[in-house]
Amino acid sequence: MRKLIVTAALLAATSIVAQAADVTIGAVLPLSGASATIGDDQRRGIELAVEEVNAAGGVLGGKLNVIVEDSGGRAPSALDAAKKLVTVDNVPAVIGEYSSGITIPVGQYLVQEKRVHLNIGSSSGLVRQLGEGSFSLIGLDNVSSGFAAQDVIDNGWKKAAVIAPNNAFGQGVVTQFEKAFTALGGEITTAILYTEGQTTYRRELQQLERGAPDVYVYSAYGREAATISREAFELGIGAGSSPWYAIYLSMCTSDSDPRFIQGQVGMDLNNIGANGQAYADAYQAKYGEGFRSSFNGYGYDAVKMLVAAIEKAGSAEPAAISAALVEVGADYEGATGPIVFDADGQRSKQPYEKLKIDDGIKPR
Amino acid sequence: MIQFVIDVVIRSVDLALIAIGLSSVYSLIRFPNVTLVQYATTGALVALGLQMLGLPLIVAGLLACVFVGAVAVVLNVLIFERLLTAGSAIAMIGSLALSMVFSAVFLVTAGPRPQRFELDLNPPIRFLGARFTDHQLISVVISALAIAAFALILFRTDLGRCMRATATNPVLARGTGINTRRVTNVVVFLSGIMAALGGIGISVKGEMSAHLGMEMLLPIFAAAILGGLGNALGAALGAVVIAVAETLVTNVNFGPLVGESFLFVPAAYATAASFLLLVIVLLVRPHGLFVSEVKRV
Repeated sequence: MRKLIVTAALLAATSIVAQAADVTIGAVLPLSGASATIGDDQRRGIELAVEEVNAAGGVLGGKLNVIVEDSGGRAPSALDAAKKLVTVDNVPAVIGEYSSGITIPVGQYLVQEKRVHLNIGSSSGLVRQLGEGSFSLIGLDNVSSGFAAQDVIDNGWKKAAVIAPNNAFGQGVVTQFEKAFTALGGEITTAILYTEGQTTYRRELQQLERGAPDVYVYSAYGREAATISREAFELGIGAGSSPWYAIYLSMCTSDSDPRFIQGQVGMDLNNIGANGQAYADAYQAKYGEGFRSSFNGYGYDAVKMLVAAIEKAGSAEPAAISAALVEVGADYEGATGPIVFDADGQRSKQPYEKLKIDDGIKPR
Repeated sequence: MIQFVIDVVIRSVDLALIAIGLSSVYSLIRFPNVTLVQYATTGALVALGLQMLGLPLIVAGLLACVFVGAVAVVLNVLIFERLLTAGSAIAMIGSLALSMVFSAVFLVTAGPRPQRFELDLNPPIRFLGARFTDHQLISVVISALAIAAFALILFRTDLGRCMRATATNPVLARGTGINTRRVTNVVVFLSGIMAALGGIGISVKGEMSAHLGMEMLLPIFAAAILGGLGNALGAALGAVVIAVAETLVTNVNFGPLVGESFLFVPAAYATAASFLLLVIVLLVRPHGLFVSEVKRV
């Protein structure tokens, strides 16, 4: 009899635990490799959101966990990480990656496995084609390149040389920028897609210089951008009247020696929305510095939106989350500003800002 | 034009140091040691580590070179001498396997991120419209001095005579009382030093990465083969030929041919150009551009 009571009590206990089960979601981020600085910054945003959610009582009565996997900045390792999250941890939703060339295969895999995918850092137009269950919290490159082209023209630069990485992101930037820039009456002298991970870009820089452009437009990942900026400095390219213009300035300068990038101008995501100040303060308090890059807020918003969707659906099943995310994304005010999904689940409004480097990133 | 010459010189000395080491070791033990390119990475990595510990770059570089030379000798005695008894093809495959072990060690110790030496701000020096930095200048001068020193050893000292004798006819050399094993190990030591110096030079001008050695593998083999494998100074000239080809192909503007103002071959294809050249030269002169004291295997 006593045994029976104990068993019943145990059963009751387990059923209570089951009801208030913890919710675990996954993230694949470049914690090592050329974009490691940005990847770690994305992780900070996610970490802040998780702490905030759990302090406020968790999700569906349980605790929220996020398993962050390292992609190494390489598509094969990113796919391995996503497979591990889906098959071993059985997570309903995965946040990531950063580089478009990696986000796309990861997103394709998640959509195929019928899990929710949240893109928080990639702006290639190809992300739009991932399909149902994939959402972007960040504006895609047709919007950003158009903004950059207009900004360059407004500065009076008519001839531009462009350099970007040879991957989905870089190809998107170059084609979209060229389209927008020539439509505005500008001329592209040379457009170069560089091979990622080289130890030197001297040859590419000298090719760019031959066209004698008014401005050098570039968009490159942290470490590679640092090498490009240093070698441009050593070659004296962009030192005179032709400055460097960075598309996503904080990405391009995250790993650069400040001495080599002084005077660069550019644009970046305006990553602080109307109610983002509390988030900015929390970031400052926890990490003891201002934002490392413009990308952490998207990680924060992704977690917050997922939690809102899970609460709304009352379930952590991927299909239910996906349906609820569409509703949440009809009108969501995130730390990075208003997030409104279009019919493809892509962020339709993305504010940008004009910046310059003058002993740190300053508004222009 | 001046810029073109400077770019060629910078690239040539990077390639030449390692190619000379490869070729001279080949002349003695008759197998191309793939691991040599990894000695270059090891040199850069060790120098970087020593600099991080607070040593000045010159001291760190010297220590790294000697260390790599010693590693080369130890590996030669422990591994390659034994593999060579089974044949040169076996030894070459063994060296390829060993270089993969090196790659793994680099990834664990240095990580996948490229790293840079702590160096001062380095604004360009302008000379007749061309630009270079003092780091590039110093690195090129040091490398050129090392090549000259090696040439002096080869042609003006007893050791050099013993080396050339061993390369030409090892049996006869042994018969005349030359300790060929010792001569070989001295050359292996020198090749390790030159490879390390090459790796440090490349890293000072650009960045040190775990893949530095393997990326240099093909152009260095091309340079050594063009120069006639086994001919040390031929390898240096081979390096110049490869550097000219690589620099030329990325600098020629193909724009006018297709009616655009500018069209360049992407810089990533520079290596492909050197291979095309290698294939053409081998078709015309199967033993390389320059006469070799050694017939190839």
